[in-house]
Amino acid sequence: MTTLQPRPGTTASLLSAIGGAAPREGGGVVTVPVPAGQLETAVHHLAAAGARLADLFAADGGQITLRLVWGLDTERQYLVTETTIDAPEYPPLSDVAPAAFTEECEIYEQFGVRPAGGKPLNRVALPPGAGADFPRLGHQPPEAPEEVHAPHTVGGQAFEFPFGPVRQVGVESLYYGLVTSGEEIVDLYLFTWHKHRGLEWRLRGRRPAEAMFLAERTEGLSATAITWALAAAVESALGVQPPPAALLTRGIALELERLYNHAAAMAALCQSTGLSVGQAAAEIALERLLRLNAATFGHRYLFGVLDAGGVRRAPDQAALRDGLPGAYGELRRAADALLATNSFMDRLEATGIVTTEQARRLGLVGPVARAAGVPIDCRLDQPTAPYAEHPPALAVRDAGDVLARFRVMLDEAADSVRLIGDLLDAGPGDGTAALPGGGGSGLGWAESPRGEALAWVSLDEGGRITRARLRPASVRNWRGFDDAARSQNVFTDIPIIEASFWLTVAGTAR
Amino acid sequence: MPLWFARGLRRGIVTTRYPARPDSSAADLPTPPAFRAGLLDHRLADRLVAVCPSQALRRDGAVLLFDVGRCTACGRCQEAAPGAVTPSGQFELAGTSRASFVKRIGLVPEVAG
Amino acid sequence: MSATPAPAVPDEAALAAQLRQRVASQFRRSLHIRTLDTGSCAVCEQEIRLLGAPHYDLHRLGFFFTPAPRHADLLMVTGPMIRAFDVAARKTYQAMPGPKLVVATGACALGGVYPADAFVHGAVDEILPVDVWIPGCPPSPLALLQGLLVAVDRLAEKVSGLTFTAGEAAQ
Repeated sequence: MTTLQPRPGTTASLLSAIGGAAPREGGGVVTVPVPAGQLETAVHHLAAAGARLADLFAADGGQITLRLVWGLDTERQYLVTETTIDAPEYPPLSDVAPAAFTEECEIYEQFGVRPAGGKPLNRVALPPGAGADFPRLGHQPPEAPEEVHAPHTVGGQAFEFPFGPVRQVGVESLYYGLVTSGEEIVDLYLFTWHKHRGLEWRLRGRRPAEAMFLAERTEGLSATAITWALAAAVESALGVQPPPAALLTRGIALELERLYNHAAAMAALCQSTGLSVGQAAAEIALERLLRLNAATFGHRYLFGVLDAGGVRRAPDQAALRDGLPGAYGELRRAADALLATNSFMDRLEATGIVTTEQARRLGLVGPVARAAGVPIDCRLDQPTAPYAEHPPALAVRDAGDVLARFRVMLDEAADSVRLIGDLLDAGPGDGTAALPGGGGSGLGWAESPRGEALAWVSLDEGGRITRARLRPASVRNWRGFDDAARSQNVFTDIPIIEASFWLTVAGTAR
Repeated sequence: MPLWFARGLRRGIVTTRYPARPDSSAADLPTPPAFRAGLLDHRLADRLVAVCPSQALRRDGAVLLFDVGRCTACGRCQEAAPGAVTPSGQFELAGTSRASFVKRIGLVPEVAG
Repeated sequence: MSATPAPAVPDEAALAAQLRQRVASQFRRSLHIRTLDTGSCAVCEQEIRLLGAPHYDLHRLGFFFTPAPRHADLLMVTGPMIRAFDVAARKTYQAMPGPKLVVATGACALGGVYPADAFVHGAVDEILPVDVWIPGCPPSPLALLQGLLVAVDRLAEKVSGLTFTAGEAAQ
């Protein structure tokens, strides 16, 4: 990390407005310590300048350090503010309150520190009755967080009922609180504590190579993206550059991951609208893509490809070149048939609308944000190899409904096929750069099929993880789900909206 | 829905004949390891136990215990000992007795070289 | 029907095995399956969903999914049995009328990936009586089909006869 010299541009003026000690720069990330007394003003300046709050998390290294990760998407950078908190409360982050709320709750129940102002915080990750001896990253809070309850009533005529966690067959356990007035959804809130496995807690004390195995299984459908983010965080912390051929392989794996996830989302959309033939057609495409993954990388879900410092496996290029056109052809033909089926299109149009304002206010990412007119994609906004040399096309729509999200996914799938071809031509391979000794901290990122996945890691002098922060896109985007469900939708729309978000409970609960 | 009907007919049948006939797609699946007992000594066995991320390997004296139920076919044991550990090719692994998943692999005292 | 206590006498063991086979064979060609996620990473669920897909089509074997535990014959359980979920798991099992079968599905459910600790029980059979175990991470749809066919006694299980030593012929 080198000390940043003052330079013209928005970042420099932002940094001077934020104040604090000398910032450090490394790997496309500027890290700036901000004293607690200046945090509220700093947040205000960043929010006013249009910076996107990408994550908020804490670490306990004797004193609590609060880190806010900001996407300066037009500056092609991430900015991380670090603030030491030595009191039970930190300044209220009102400018980013909607985007930060879930994280503030998580920090409170894990570390016992909360924003000043007394606003109620909910129990989010830990199970009910988790006592002092329940594993936490920090300390039990002095007062238990509140249990979530519905804030809305409709003239006193609302009916609130819990739904799940055991729900329809073949989907993850998920617990909704539904508030309805007749068929109309008044409010919807989600619980995910029943799937909290404590991934961040488990990664402490592990070496990066061991951590990859668990990181893959944080949200298995984003195995490549999450291990890429964690590996990149480790590489940034230790100043390691993976071999260029390995980075091309990472890109191929990530685009294959995007392809099969979008096919699976399409199948789920058909199932949610009751279109069995469409579902079958999408599933044929999905199965061919999964078999292509197995033929290319030895695993249907691309587990075991990435490692800290590079990749463990090179792709079977002949199998990929051979199988991709046919598999994508199935996907394309199914999609074209769906786009010509009016009964299907009618269910998608104007359903589950997320407005541009909602997407920005809540800090949403991925196809959900892009379909709502927010043009963010960390492959383009914070480009690293191989995307710096092989940029994807940005797929943006502005209707913000299920149909827009579907179209964005189809555009991205077509672009993924093109990208895979380019990456193959550039000569992918395997190989892992050796990790040097010593410690450090770093931020890593990758554009998962659901959106930006982030990881931040700090390593001690022995190379072991002291704090790993995993932030799959699902953590960001579930908070947009209740807004999408509330906008004039009925019960039968919920599965359609859920399929179009294509999030996981595992990735949120970790 | 003539569009879908015609597409379906043209597409044909993709359904597997399994279990009546084997399915060729199984060839690309990752499978648990097979161990060459004559090539595994205590030291190598301990290395394999340390490298397994899923608690599938344990050493009990002169025996390596392999719980294939816990195996994720990640391949790390094979990477650690490429000559001594190879893919088994077995994917039909369901069983009705939990104990039958734990395999005992005899270890040699020491392997030269 | 699913809980067979350890037999004290050889005759009991034979009897228990016969009883298990009779129960399983009731479902031979008509089986209704309820799935249960106790904390998976979501990939096992994706493979299970593909059982209904054209490539695998579990309906041709007389297998069906049902969302209602009351109508289910077999409970297909994924995940390491997160402690915060175990009450929901027991309630789902109890809501199924007998005779019923439980299939622990995937490495997490069999005690792999996550060891037992304050977050997870570690394996499904810590909480529910399991009849069939299907390894894999994830088990592919073919492996899932084999597991279901073993559960209803239409295929003999192989794993007890495999030694996982080199020299054994791969299929």
